[in-house]
Amino acid sequence: MTVPPRSETPLLTMRNVTKEYRGVAALKDIDFDLRRGEVHAILGENGAGKSTLVKILSGAVTPSNGEIGLDGRRIHIATPADARRYGIAMVYQETNLVPALTVAQNLYLGDEKFFNRLRGTYIEAQQLLQSLNFPVEPTALVQSLGTAKRQMVEIARAVRLEAKIIIFDEPTATLTPEEKHHLFALIDRLRSEGVSIIFISHAVEEALEISDRITILRDGTRVVTDGAKAFSRETIIRHMVGRTLTNELYGRAANTRKVRRPGEKVLSVQNLSMQNIVRNTSFSIFAGQVTGIFGLVGSGRTETAKIVAGVIKRDLFHGGDVRLGSVAVRYRSPRKAVGDGVVYVTEDRKGDGFFETMSIAENLYIGQISSRESRGMLASVSQMRALAAVWTKKLNVRTLNDDARVIELSGGNQQKLVIAKALVQKPRLVIFDEPTRGVDVGSIAEIHHLIGLLADEGLAVIVISSYLPEILSLSDRILVSRQGRIVEEISPSEATSESVMFAAVH
Amino acid sequence: MFERISRASISQEKIVLLIAVLLFCVFSVSLKGFVSSGNLLTLLRSVSTLGILGIGMAFLVLGRGIDLAIVAIYSASAGWTLHLANGGVSIWLAMVLGYLLALTAGVLSGVLVAYVEIPALFATLGMAAFVFGFVRYALVPLYVVYMPASGASIAWIGGGFVFGVPVPILFFALIAVLGFLFLRFTKPGRFIYAIGDNFAAARISGAPVRPIIILQYAISATIAYLAGIITATAVSAMDTDVANSSMIYDIILVVVLGGIGLSGGRGGIRNVIVGTLLIGILLNGMTIMDIEYTLQNVIRSLILLIAIVIDSIINPRDEQIAQQGDI
Repeated sequence: MTVPPRSETPLLTMRNVTKEYRGVAALKDIDFDLRRGEVHAILGENGAGKSTLVKILSGAVTPSNGEIGLDGRRIHIATPADARRYGIAMVYQETNLVPALTVAQNLYLGDEKFFNRLRGTYIEAQQLLQSLNFPVEPTALVQSLGTAKRQMVEIARAVRLEAKIIIFDEPTATLTPEEKHHLFALIDRLRSEGVSIIFISHAVEEALEISDRITILRDGTRVVTDGAKAFSRETIIRHMVGRTLTNELYGRAANTRKVRRPGEKVLSVQNLSMQNIVRNTSFSIFAGQVTGIFGLVGSGRTETAKIVAGVIKRDLFHGGDVRLGSVAVRYRSPRKAVGDGVVYVTEDRKGDGFFETMSIAENLYIGQISSRESRGMLASVSQMRALAAVWTKKLNVRTLNDDARVIELSGGNQQKLVIAKALVQKPRLVIFDEPTRGVDVGSIAEIHHLIGLLADEGLAVIVISSYLPEILSLSDRILVSRQGRIVEEISPSEATSESVMFAAVH
Repeated sequence: MFERISRASISQEKIVLLIAVLLFCVFSVSLKGFVSSGNLLTLLRSVSTLGILGIGMAFLVLGRGIDLAIVAIYSASAGWTLHLANGGVSIWLAMVLGYLLALTAGVLSGVLVAYVEIPALFATLGMAAFVFGFVRYALVPLYVVYMPASGASIAWIGGGFVFGVPVPILFFALIAVLGFLFLRFTKPGRFIYAIGDNFAAARISGAPVRPIIILQYAISATIAYLAGIITATAVSAMDTDVANSSMIYDIILVVVLGGIGLSGGRGGIRNVIVGTLLIGILLNGMTIMDIEYTLQNVIRSLILLIAIVIDSIINPRDEQIAQQGDI
């Protein structure tokens, strides 16, 4: 591949691109330029139109209006195959690989020769992966790989197709910091080889770090495009939300705020083990404060929480002790845990958080009638409506209509709903697993505020997160999980990003 | 920021209803005697058993399950009731025992699905074969069991009239209303929808998912038994071999045709009624026109395919619609 000189002439242009869904515009008159060899970040809250823009470029949806040009020629991208032909490749947030096939088979998927020799494929794949410096075994099954390695395979596929434009959709959402550094180094290298990169993200710092230019979308329109150096965190957030969130999010430095005192001990976990995911871990949780559990993906945090809340079934004897107050408990279903006031707010709201065919009110009502306090057999529509009225107000869930189905809400509103569905059960211990993943900036602030309020009301709150600023700004105690075990407790007054991360990876 | 995209206004249910109404109009004009009150009652009566069984099946399908044993339970439990009565057992005791048989089979299916965690398709397929085999081997030695003289006291169930309306139609209506009320206004009804929509979310929310699954199978077995007694009293006999017929597909047809998604959580009793009406109008019209049975099957299946095609044209499975969370 020849390396074209970096130039100011755009490689890709979009003019007045509009996309309407049933008369509602998801994108309005978007103008967008992508230069050769630049990393161009597109930022915006959920619902701002980022995904729609990307889907237009990748051929997943066709625009209602407007033109797209490549190298000065007007092009039509009607299908993903068209996009591929024009050299546009996409690296998805949730990867787009076939889990049951090997890495090499995935790399060459769709391009197999009629008489396909696997050995040849493996050798080619090996060379490709080595040239990219990816530590991935071509014969490994994709399902055995972690998120980061899957992403490497996707990137390798884009490189193999000699893509001129690679679109990364929230590439860092599930990566550990180390993996993120690798990714950024790779993006740098692709850029220096003349590949143009579109980088979609929620994470403002990442965009500032990696990109040459930044475009900010809000409510389907382009707010601003400029060189990354022209922006700061604050200006970006202001453009994204259209209002100033003065350090409301992560700005609260731990040492300037009041740390809540621990109340009575609500939960104690002794020598909890499960296969080699959770290894002999012990910790306690106290009422009236927020306990942050920080750990990298795969450190057993989620599994530990799920065992405590009965989501993962345990056998009858082994694997240590969980005590609620002073009573030993061994939940084999979440129902028992919910009955005892232990609720788990999932990290995967779409997978096991909400009921997509139901309205907000119906979703909340399922939470209500699942709790122990629910008596009798008859469902009450008035109670359901009242519940919806109270909680949409309390959590500021924005809808046009109480009967709106959950699937029609934005990520932030969906997350608030999943939280509300747990809170209607009047818990005494709430476990939030990645409470703000895939949530827009405005909702993050609201969810964080709510978590603080819960602790002030005397609940025991656990926040599991792999996002350090979140842990640092929310926690009254910080526990660090590593390789299936809580390895360290750090008081928030002493905690710094470096010290917590050091404990987590060391 | 917009949060809501207008919901599809034309559903499969409405399409099927429209087809049913159109057919009704066409038949009314073109077929002599179609709109007579006698024929309309015959029409409804002929599909009322199917409709009742469809409601039983709907309870499972709404919860993303299926009950392939429903026909075996329907025929075997009613057949055993008649056989016991033939052997001198009082008809009321025979009915209680027959119902217990149906309920046991239903609960057993439920336990297999809920606690042993076997997929509903396989558990109920096995249960269907077992119920039929066991009843024929141990309980009812004949394929066809006839109604004994002592059965006269319950003959009204299948053969009676109230104000000129055949009792089976009234039972269909009654079960439809009860089913509707149950699904809409009881907590177990809400849980069935929750489980059908997202089982994992229902479980994490603390819903009693396993008892609810067993309840679903118990309800479908109860409805199956009632349908069995209606058939047995209507024709004064029960053919246990109907468990091996294509009847199970007809039941799934009326459920799916009406628009209850096999993916669970979508639809309600209304959909079963709409599906049943279409099939009833179609079968009745074709019978009046004296169309041969094999051709009737072709037409019936074409109607189903057309309904599904129209649905997929009007409500395309747009990826964007499926992922509203992030536009």
